[in-house]
Amino acid sequence: MTIPTIQLLDELKAMTQKHLEIVTELQSLPDTDLQHRPHAQSWSALECIEHLNRYAAFYHPEIEKRINRSVTKPATTFKSGWIGNYFAEMMLPKEKLNKMKTFKSMNPVHEHLNVQTLTAFENHLQQLLQLLDKAATINLNKVKTSISITPLIKLKLGDTLRVVIYHNERHLQQAVKAAGDISGRLKQMFFQYPLQNDKRQYSHY
Amino acid sequence: MNTSEIVALLEANGLFERSITVERSDFLKKGGSVDTNIYFVEEGSLYVFMIDGEEERIIRFGYKGSIIVSLDSFLTGKPSGFYIQAIKKTKLRIATKKSFQQFIRQSAAHQELWVSMLEGLVLQQIEREKDLLIQSPVERYKRVLKRSPQLFQQIPNKYIASYLRMSAETLSRLKKR
Repeated sequence: MTIPTIQLLDELKAMTQKHLEIVTELQSLPDTDLQHRPHAQSWSALECIEHLNRYAAFYHPEIEKRINRSVTKPATTFKSGWIGNYFAEMMLPKEKLNKMKTFKSMNPVHEHLNVQTLTAFENHLQQLLQLLDKAATINLNKVKTSISITPLIKLKLGDTLRVVIYHNERHLQQAVKAAGDISGRLKQMFFQYPLQNDKRQYSHY
Repeated sequence: MNTSEIVALLEANGLFERSITVERSDFLKKGGSVDTNIYFVEEGSLYVFMIDGEEERIIRFGYKGSIIVSLDSFLTGKPSGFYIQAIKKTKLRIATKKSFQQFIRQSAAHQELWVSMLEGLVLQQIEREKDLLIQSPVERYKRVLKRSPQLFQQIPNKYIASYLRMSAETLSRLKKR
């Protein structure tokens, strides 16, 4: 996938702003909805958000550190690496929600959570918007970051940002479903995939 | 596509279901057995060999970060004559053929990936075939040194010498040059 850098960052920013709005909506829901567990083994809305908090706790400092250390200049286009693109797309929720396994340390199921989880996530999203601004000042192709799945590889920063934000999208959708979004008001706030007006070919190689 | 990327991919898809530890000089697989697993070497090292009369002939090595498979058995599901033995205590993670097959059938993208993995394997086999056919020990040594410099840090000389089809003395002479 090759895309003008500005377009990529704008899209990711727009998604993150949307995510902030969704969090605000979630904050208005009663605790019983937020704690509601659709099936015995599935996550409640708060657990989904806590899962995202844990990812943010790993990725945000990592991303910030790499940006701060970089002396590169921004490039006009971003070219996805094959495995970075694979991971980013894997995160995107598919029409029929594709189940994925999670790592134990990232699994918050049955932990005691409250609305502060949402506040923490709101802060994480604000942080992410700042990181996206900072990311515009360096080369998204050249700067690489570690990933949480394995120490074996690093991803281009542009791909890491996609992974993180697509992952937020995935679990926010799950959270909205878990909270039993009866009016469907929240559901309408999500992006449709592939993104509208997006004629890019999503191929893995 | 390199080994680390393949492992990351298998990891992310939850294919490594279990781990085992093989003690130094223990066998992971013996000649005549079926083994269709894919192993990722997390720590340690081992070697794959066959028996030729009285001699062990080393096919390849696995060391930290590499994937090791009894490829003939993996592809056919039949017994293979290969032995896999630990050079030192080795920690491995295991993906089964069954879960790997499910993974490649999941999507066209995964199938493409399998094809490029196979292409990579064929190319490796060709390089190994050249290793064995080249007359000059110096050339054989240089090729392997260039291709896998880590080998010389992780595997004792006597095994590398066997892999290169030369005596341990010849190898240490070449290394000194």
